[in-house]
Amino acid sequence: MENRPLEYDYTVAKMFMFTTIVLGIVGMLIGVILAFQLAFPGVNLILGEGLAEYTNFSRLRPLHTDAVIFGFTLSGVFATWYYVGQRVLKVSMAESKFLMTLGKIHFWLYLVVVTAAVVSLFAGVTSSKEYAEFEWPIDIGVVVVWVIWGMGLFGLIGIRREKSLYISIWYYIATFLGIAMLYLFNNMAIPTMLGASAAGESGIGAWYHSVSMYAGTNDALVQWWYGHNAVAFGFTVPIVAMIYYFLPKESGQAIYSYKLSLLSFWGLMFVYLWAGGHHLLYSTVPDWMQTMGSIFSIILILPSWGSAINMLLTMKGEWQQVAASPLIKFMILASTFYMFSTLEGPIQAIKSVNAIAHFTDWIVGHVHDGVLGWVGFMIMAALYHMAPRVFKREIYSKSLMVAQFWIQTLGVVLYFTSMWIAGITQGMMWRAHDEFGNLAYSFIDTVTVLHPYYTIRGIGGLLYLVGFLMFAYNIYKTMSARPVEERELQNASPMGA
Amino acid sequence: MFHWLEKHPFFFAVGVFVTIAFAGLVEILPNFAQASRPVIGTAPYSTLELAGRHVYIKNSCNACHSQLVRPFKSETDRYGHYSLSGEYAYDRPFLWGSKRTGPDLMRVGNYRTTDWHENHMKDPASVVPGSIMPAYKWMFANKADIDTAFAEQLTVAQYFSVPYNEPVPMRDGSKKIVKMGASIAEANELALQEAKLIAADMRDQDVKDAVARGEIPEIVALIAYMNSLK
Amino acid sequence: MDIAQLQAYGYFTLIILLVIALYGYIYHLYTKKKDVDGVDYESYSDMALKDDLDDAPVSPKSDDKSTLEGAQRNRREI
Repeated sequence: MENRPLEYDYTVAKMFMFTTIVLGIVGMLIGVILAFQLAFPGVNLILGEGLAEYTNFSRLRPLHTDAVIFGFTLSGVFATWYYVGQRVLKVSMAESKFLMTLGKIHFWLYLVVVTAAVVSLFAGVTSSKEYAEFEWPIDIGVVVVWVIWGMGLFGLIGIRREKSLYISIWYYIATFLGIAMLYLFNNMAIPTMLGASAAGESGIGAWYHSVSMYAGTNDALVQWWYGHNAVAFGFTVPIVAMIYYFLPKESGQAIYSYKLSLLSFWGLMFVYLWAGGHHLLYSTVPDWMQTMGSIFSIILILPSWGSAINMLLTMKGEWQQVAASPLIKFMILASTFYMFSTLEGPIQAIKSVNAIAHFTDWIVGHVHDGVLGWVGFMIMAALYHMAPRVFKREIYSKSLMVAQFWIQTLGVVLYFTSMWIAGITQGMMWRAHDEFGNLAYSFIDTVTVLHPYYTIRGIGGLLYLVGFLMFAYNIYKTMSARPVEERELQNASPMGA
Repeated sequence: MFHWLEKHPFFFAVGVFVTIAFAGLVEILPNFAQASRPVIGTAPYSTLELAGRHVYIKNSCNACHSQLVRPFKSETDRYGHYSLSGEYAYDRPFLWGSKRTGPDLMRVGNYRTTDWHENHMKDPASVVPGSIMPAYKWMFANKADIDTAFAEQLTVAQYFSVPYNEPVPMRDGSKKIVKMGASIAEANELALQEAKLIAADMRDQDVKDAVARGEIPEIVALIAYMNSLK
Repeated sequence: MDIAQLQAYGYFTLIILLVIALYGYIYHLYTKKKDVDGVDYESYSDMALKDDLDDAPVSPKSDDKSTLEGAQRNRREI
């Protein structure tokens, strides 16, 4: 081997960048189809009567959520980990054959599990628990992938040159631990092939089927402790890890207050897990837990805003960069949406508000301003920042980025405004009584009234998907764009016209 | 202490884990000590009902329909008595749902009938004009998986002491015994007997023929489950 | 005292301890300002800003200069 200087090795990061984009397109495309199915039910037969079983709303819905969470977002988390991890620990993957191999195994196993998950969800093999739909064989695969990632993560930390751990590393460690704990506990199930009949038969029925360890109210409690915190440790914690690295790096500005970032970290870790109860307000879960969920949701504003404000203030005195660079635009809008949805969430968790909002489209709107605005924008920004460094080429087109930014921003705004109106309209109509105390509307009245909002939502989602395709195209063209001269790029990423 | 933690990844990770696990320990675990007892009138699912529940789950009906009536006048007016924890004692998994694109189904068995469901699943807009629910025609052709439902009954009876073949108190003071087969053959026979009662109220000739042949289409199992929701 | 009461006292004590830990941490962060190696917390941001392989670590893992130089020499040779 020739005697050349050691460099960071982005092989695994590149692989995960690829799945981020592919699974992003898959997840968002399915999302757009779902949106139009609600507006125009005929779309359920998009591939004809024969395939209706596989294209109807209910079969596709878990695919959409899981493709976006475990496909797009998780790939993005892994891609950035294999990029950021090396850099802030100041150690290259090339220095350890073991970690390099582990990283590659991580990727390929991940791909196998994702494929199995997609096939099983299309076939209708599901445990019905939201964001934990996979049956036990796939769950085992998920755990193996996760453990391999953990080994790589702590392995790289083990050979680091930087003694202190940068705040992003804190968040990546928390992502690893949090998801591990939640996923394990929520998916506890007994495979039904263990059941033996009085006649001595066993291994009866579908081998992959299992039955939850928890029943009824307890099952709901564990599921929403998980469901809420899958959002915490999938959609918040690792994305904060990203913005704490990419925003300072791209803008060349030190974090406004490093101490505040540490404080917010511990605050977020402690508070987030309590808030799951807000998904179960007015249910059969004990009252004190519901109240606890409400209270901690409000408290959650503090650590969330601690991080978000810290990010915005990082740009202090450098706001001209927001105007000049579309990449900074993406990140600033992401942290703005983070502030926005971490305020909206606690409002929805107040019991009297929840009485109207629960079960309506307002909740769907809330999830999407978080995921489209915060998670999606941040992951795309991270990949835009990484692209010139891993491919050693300038970003193909700046003007395409600017156009994409505005198209997607419009998409998100159309999405959440229409869902606000839809949700509150529906919530109010469900509870409306006439002068004699009878229900004022039949249920179908509260469905047909939503048609215009469902249509607007579909258009908003479509705009976001179009923007994402522009992003994919831009990254694809970057791979063959003009090479950059510098061996190590400093802050602002180079962009072509 | 804090500085030290920041530079020792293992102990740091332990610290983070304790911090995030704390809420689970305090909030979630204690409730498990008092798992909810079934209320009077709540019986385990029969083999056919359980197979229907699997059809419900397979098609993610819970993505659009809740099974949780909240204690508000508007909800009890619309759906019936608000939900009690004990009513879910045999629900593994729970199917409360998180979105009501369609109405709640917690007590749908009280106000919908077999033939209503049959028409509705074939063409929802024929019974609910303006409905945006897709049709589920394949349920009339696909066969229900009775074996897996039976395996689940055996598993829950064995591991969670669900009272099959035992008298369960009902609201009118009577006792109900939900039978579970002793063998695969007997379980299928029990399910078929129940399916025949449902099919008698249905109009679809293919379904009737299938049940007469000893086969159970998914729709029959699903309707058995829907009728059991009270 | 039944189990529920024990739990309640246990939780209360734990929460008090955590509150003390939290405020202790805030006090510590904003009065000490520097970590054990005398590095200013705010300069930790440099871990992201100066993250080339050739940049000096903010807080090197080893205090021994020779091993550090050795490591840098090794890096060049791979």
